[in-house]
Amino acid sequence: MPDSTVLLPTNNRPANTGSSMNDDASRLDGIAKVTGAAKYGRDVYVPNSLFVAFVRCPWGVGELVSSNRDAAMKVPGVLDVELTKKEGQYHGATVGHMIAESPAALSRGMSELACRWKRREAKTRLAEEIGEEPPIGEAAAAALAKGSKRLEADYSTEVQTHSSLETHGVSIDFKSDSAVVYASTQGTFSVRDGLDERLKLKRSQYEVVCEYVGGGFGSKLGGAGKEGITAAMIAAKYNRPVYLFCNRAEEHLDTGNRPGSRTRVRIGFNDDGTIVGGEIRTWGSVGPNKSGGGCNVPSGRYNLGDTKKAHEDVALNAGMPRAFRAPGHPQGSFAEEMMLDEVAFACGLDPLALRLKLIRSDAIKEMASLGARQIGWDNRRPTGSQKGVVRRGMGMGITSWGRFPAAVEAEVVINQDGSIEARTGTQDIGTGQRTMVGIVTSSTLGVSLDAVTVRIGRSTLPEGPGSGGSVTAVNSAPAFIAAAEDAKRKMLEALTQRMNAEPGELDIADGVIRRGERNAVQWKDACAMLGNAITGKGVNNRATVDADKTTGNSGGAQFVDLEVDTETGVIAVRRIVAVQACGRVVSRKLAESQIIGGVIQGLSYALFEDRLLDRVTGAMVNPNLEWYKIAGPCDMPRIEPILWTKDGTGARPLGEPPTIPTSGAIACALFNALGTPVRSLPLTPDKVLTALGSGERA
Amino acid sequence: MKSFAIARPGSHAAAAKLAADKTYTLPVIKSGGIDIIDQMKEGLLEPDLLVHLGSIGEGAATISMEGGRLRIGAGVTLAQIASSPIVIEHCPVLAQTAASAATPAVRNMATIAGNLLQRPRCWYFRQHQFDCLKKGGGTCYAVEGENKYHAIFGGGPCHIVHPSNLAPALVVAGGVAHLVGGKRTSIPIADLFHTPDKGVRTEHVLEPGEVLTHLTCDAAPASGFCGIKEKQSFDWPLAFACVGLRVTDGTIQSAGVCAGAVAPVPWSLPRVAEALAGVKVGDDAAIRAAAVLSGQDARPMRDNGYKVRLLGVAVHRAALKALGREAEGLS
Repeated sequence: MPDSTVLLPTNNRPANTGSSMNDDASRLDGIAKVTGAAKYGRDVYVPNSLFVAFVRCPWGVGELVSSNRDAAMKVPGVLDVELTKKEGQYHGATVGHMIAESPAALSRGMSELACRWKRREAKTRLAEEIGEEPPIGEAAAAALAKGSKRLEADYSTEVQTHSSLETHGVSIDFKSDSAVVYASTQGTFSVRDGLDERLKLKRSQYEVVCEYVGGGFGSKLGGAGKEGITAAMIAAKYNRPVYLFCNRAEEHLDTGNRPGSRTRVRIGFNDDGTIVGGEIRTWGSVGPNKSGGGCNVPSGRYNLGDTKKAHEDVALNAGMPRAFRAPGHPQGSFAEEMMLDEVAFACGLDPLALRLKLIRSDAIKEMASLGARQIGWDNRRPTGSQKGVVRRGMGMGITSWGRFPAAVEAEVVINQDGSIEARTGTQDIGTGQRTMVGIVTSSTLGVSLDAVTVRIGRSTLPEGPGSGGSVTAVNSAPAFIAAAEDAKRKMLEALTQRMNAEPGELDIADGVIRRGERNAVQWKDACAMLGNAITGKGVNNRATVDADKTTGNSGGAQFVDLEVDTETGVIAVRRIVAVQACGRVVSRKLAESQIIGGVIQGLSYALFEDRLLDRVTGAMVNPNLEWYKIAGPCDMPRIEPILWTKDGTGARPLGEPPTIPTSGAIACALFNALGTPVRSLPLTPDKVLTALGSGERA
Repeated sequence: MKSFAIARPGSHAAAAKLAADKTYTLPVIKSGGIDIIDQMKEGLLEPDLLVHLGSIGEGAATISMEGGRLRIGAGVTLAQIASSPIVIEHCPVLAQTAASAATPAVRNMATIAGNLLQRPRCWYFRQHQFDCLKKGGGTCYAVEGENKYHAIFGGGPCHIVHPSNLAPALVVAGGVAHLVGGKRTSIPIADLFHTPDKGVRTEHVLEPGEVLTHLTCDAAPASGFCGIKEKQSFDWPLAFACVGLRVTDGTIQSAGVCAGAVAPVPWSLPRVAEALAGVKVGDDAAIRAAAVLSGQDARPMRDNGYKVRLLGVAVHRAALKALGREAEGLS
């Protein structure tokens, strides 16, 4: 029987199994988003706007030999061309920009500019750029020697681009003494902080607005970015509105990515699967600036004995990494989970049994056992035991994530006309922040969700954090509980006076003022009795986090059931069970949606995504959504999120952890089906056939 | 994108006249617009006149049986073909092929004529900075570069794969393209395309001013398609096969086999067809042996050797599908 404090998936949820603050509410902005009523920054065309485009290097390394600025300037509508660099170190690197009165003038101007580039040799392959490997350390060698068996294996992953549907950029409504900056960002306030000098305005003279964001996944963190800064400077210079958004190719090339990785495992272990130790050496493929290539293995989730770690970033002539949903984790998790399955196979052990032995967290062990029951792990066949054309495989992986503190200011305003506003400047990047704020506020206050108007995504509202590190819900919820409690207390104090009630006699429930056991005053009438609007304030800070002993790391475990066609190498993932710790669930539907989204992104990463650089020219050959392949509806398995609510009463980080273990679990399931490991993501048919020894090579 | 005029002729003949109009530098015919608009956005094509075919009647959007042959108007969409009871009954290979292409949204816009005459999807051709052979340059970048999805047949010098899913199906069914505006009134689909050695700047043999009005093909009730894709939503096949069979008394009398996504043109496989003739419908080993012959003349590039094997699997499965069966072990 399911544990009573675990929430099973909505579609087969038994009654009374655990609880959330709200089980059924849909996103407050769901209808606006699907009907197009929601206006994203990219949708905002301000009359009289200037349009700006970057001039970009078309090759891995390119030297700008010549250009025809005069011809470009003669195109009607082209106002300026500024070329500031003579060389680009990756495809998409900016060397200048053009300003015009219309997108059409920009495109004509660009073709008249006729940049001629000299192509130079580019570094495009991580495997080829890894220098001579230093010898294994003495301690690692000793540990390696102590095991009765050893595993030496190389695992690799490719670069994943964020592929935000709404590309990076800003639309700035600039008037000489004020501006509204419509940004597509994960940090409304970080955009504000960077722009005063560029806009040549005081902070009080401009507002950053970010009502909706069409995807970011980490790539829209950290300020206004190249796009925002350039647009702001041009707006100030020309005293005009400016529109600057990347096109689809630019989005792939120059707005960040998850770096590729190589992991060389050399570990010794005993016949019972105990890892004695050894060395795990990782490399990350990064851009010319040589940073940001972390690969998180060993993750610390397993007891790997005395295993040493070494890491090096390797520069390629390619777009630079940026934070990407659990930076460094999926690539490390893929290597770590595969490594464990290979150890289990070598020892003749069930990979679940091996993991239950090595997992450090008792909670994650419990989640793993629960997930195994849900997927039907007992039906898993021994690795390599199948002979048919289509083979079945099961695999698993685990995850964990820390809770990071962030300062949040929240306001809950009760107006005399009965309206209620919940206010924070923190943006909703699609995770459901807007809805979460509404649910926390309404349930704390004792009113219905639709009674609350949520105002978010503006730099003139109370300050909140950037959406990175899975911090927004975790840190906003306590602030809004405090703000709503403050508002409620102030309102009841005022009403106690007006109604000559005893202190503590009044309360709010279901949107009605209660006096003792009876309904005393309707909400609107009560608000009309208030002398002023009431503002409740709440803050979340380090102290709040430290005081809340119940919140901590979010663990999880995922299980995959797949089929692989051994004649074609095509994988069909049938089911994924994702058990995820989430503490107090604010909204069941949104929490499940977060987990499903993480799983989908992990599946797409495992099976398809690959930023492919031309080895001759260094250009990315697939900067589009046609050949940069992302999983679609027909590639989706049945995904069963299970919300694990046992260990905590506070909200837990949920954005990043669910995308960490998916790719490893899929690769392990493939290994189980085939009997031979595919150690390189994405798991494409050519690699599967090669692993089976049936891929014919030229 | 440059400014252009748009014309909406009421007949194919009028469209043909506009397409040959010398007062324009580059008149271009547009049907569903899936490929033309892509090319314009990519800066590969800068027409000053778009001749839009959407307003033409003349059976351009209808499917019918005429004199034992299937007639499909040039403007019929892939979605229409995929769901047409006539096509499903008389030429299942065509319906299956249409159903497998792209996405529902694309299939609702894309027409059969546009599908046949679209330009290749090669990633070097599609990006402006590569002055490849097709754009008048001196290099096929796929030879030394990234050729995972390129051709295993055809011998170059350009190594595109033909983008049309429907062309191989029509070849198998004895398809004919019917034309106005030029000297000829029809051309077999098997002759509509040329290999790169016969001219690398184009893929088909139509002249400017020749307009495709409709297609006809034989009924091919025992026919089937099998395409192998990395992704099952919105992806181009890695390799696919169309097979048409004539079966009497439990024996395959004759076969037509044509492959796609493996060569710069629809790639007929006569040796496979010959090997299938005389095979008992239940003789899976013989069908499989015939299918394996598909890879005999393949000359894979560095990264696309896997396509040879996939093609054999696709031919085998398409043949079984033509017989109304699935390969053993597939559920």
